[in-house]
Amino acid sequence: MIRFENASVTYPGGVHALKNLTLEIPDGQMMVIVGLSGAGKSTLIRAINGLVPLTGGDLTIDGVSVPGAKPKQLREIRSRIGMIFQTFNLVNRTTVLNNVLMGRLHDAGTMRSLLAWYKPADIEIAMRALERVGIVEKAYVRASNLSGGQQQRVGIARALAQEPKIILADEPVASLDPPTSHVVMRDLQRINRELNMTTIINLHFLDLAKVYGERIIGMRAGELVYDGTGDKADENVFRDIYGRSLTADDLMGEAAAAG
Amino acid sequence: MTAATAPRVARPKRPSRSFVGLLAFLVFAVITWWAASEEYGLNFDIPELLTNLTRGADILAEFWPPDFSVVSRTIAPLLETVQIAVIASLIGCSLALPIAFLASRVTAPNLVAYILDRSILSVVRALPDVLYAIIFVAALSIGPLPGILALILFNIAVVAKLLSETVDGVDQGPIEAARATGANRLLTVRWAVLPQVLPNYVAYSLYAFELNIRASAVLGIVGAGGIGNLINEFRRFFQYDALMVVVIEILVLVIIVEWISIWLRRRLV
Repeated sequence: MIRFENASVTYPGGVHALKNLTLEIPDGQMMVIVGLSGAGKSTLIRAINGLVPLTGGDLTIDGVSVPGAKPKQLREIRSRIGMIFQTFNLVNRTTVLNNVLMGRLHDAGTMRSLLAWYKPADIEIAMRALERVGIVEKAYVRASNLSGGQQQRVGIARALAQEPKIILADEPVASLDPPTSHVVMRDLQRINRELNMTTIINLHFLDLAKVYGERIIGMRAGELVYDGTGDKADENVFRDIYGRSLTADDLMGEAAAAG
Repeated sequence: MTAATAPRVARPKRPSRSFVGLLAFLVFAVITWWAASEEYGLNFDIPELLTNLTRGADILAEFWPPDFSVVSRTIAPLLETVQIAVIASLIGCSLALPIAFLASRVTAPNLVAYILDRSILSVVRALPDVLYAIIFVAALSIGPLPGILALILFNIAVVAKLLSETVDGVDQGPIEAARATGANRLLTVRWAVLPQVLPNYVAYSLYAFELNIRASAVLGIVGAGGIGNLINEFRRFFQYDALMVVVIEILVLVIIVEWISIWLRRRLV
């Protein structure tokens, strides 16, 4: 279980990205965070794996404090949390397999990993992660030669290769077209259900949030303004979260009919 | 109405012209005048340069025809020059890799290591390679070893400087991704940064090797091994026709090395 207790983040510039957030996320939940850009969604996600340190309050994962962790402990916490990014964050100049093997670095031994001398077991885990997202045939292709949707699946495979308990996804479909977005969202949903990984996703398309969010939380100016199930989140709720009336830009459109 | 007019808003005022460019040019012109002037500088005079150009013609004529009988004497020192360049490039460029990562804020583990590494690099870069060669020859005696050491320092200075600037500009996304997986700093650099800068590193190293071939010809003049020793000997005994052979050989060697490095770069990058 992930637990925020009065968690705050104030950036050096004085921006309060997270204000006294108290929140519990039980194991295995698929939770979607919605809110305008600048509302603190990315900060919330990055606080969980310590990429953004809290400036106040506490955050625990299964009872272990993230802000209180020493560097080595923090790396261990991170190794159990997979992360997926809006811009994929792949190393374009190397192969898909090398990118996925990045997910094994925490456990593969520094000397071996430096020399790219991976254990067969680690390669097997990486290959299985690629199979799970359906692009194992691209294992030895350079990452830059893949389409956006394929690159994001490599990003998901990299996270899966960590064999994590938690998956964080920061706007995973914001760089993709609508049909590809649904493919990637369904991959995430399938992984959440089959592997029972707690999955936390930032989205700004409200219709996507409603379709895939088992639970939706709304953020505005660093504060939690909504917390409820996907089906209860209607237009009024979103209007409240966004602090304005909704427009076509807030919807991805082209409904989940794609599959 | 077909063409809708955009609402009129006040247009921004044009900022006043900056005279920084003109000022910089004037300062540059004054400094050049100072350096070349009769009273304060070198008394550099282009017409005089042109009239004096013919004075060297007699000496230049002695360079031709080249005396190819010395070719057999040049082979061994020429090979030594190549060997010095190969060894110095291999060692210098290998050492430059970790030094470059310490010299970039993107990859340095902490501020102390970064500042220390940059300071050492500045010191190494401050002296020219010939000066290093003179120092090492004095300390170690004549031979290829001081030449190799001087060029190792030169390669570290050149490659680490260029590579650290390349590292400064890498895509930080993969670094964040690697940190998020729980990878330690060394492995983050190895797998998120190195693949991004590898083609540049290869290119810089090949460039350093080319410079080494050229430089080791000069280093021999101060006793640091290679073809330079022979250049010095021919020069002192006014054997300009023999010197011409060495000039041609170096020219050919440098062109061959350049071809090889272009070919390698195309294959590796």
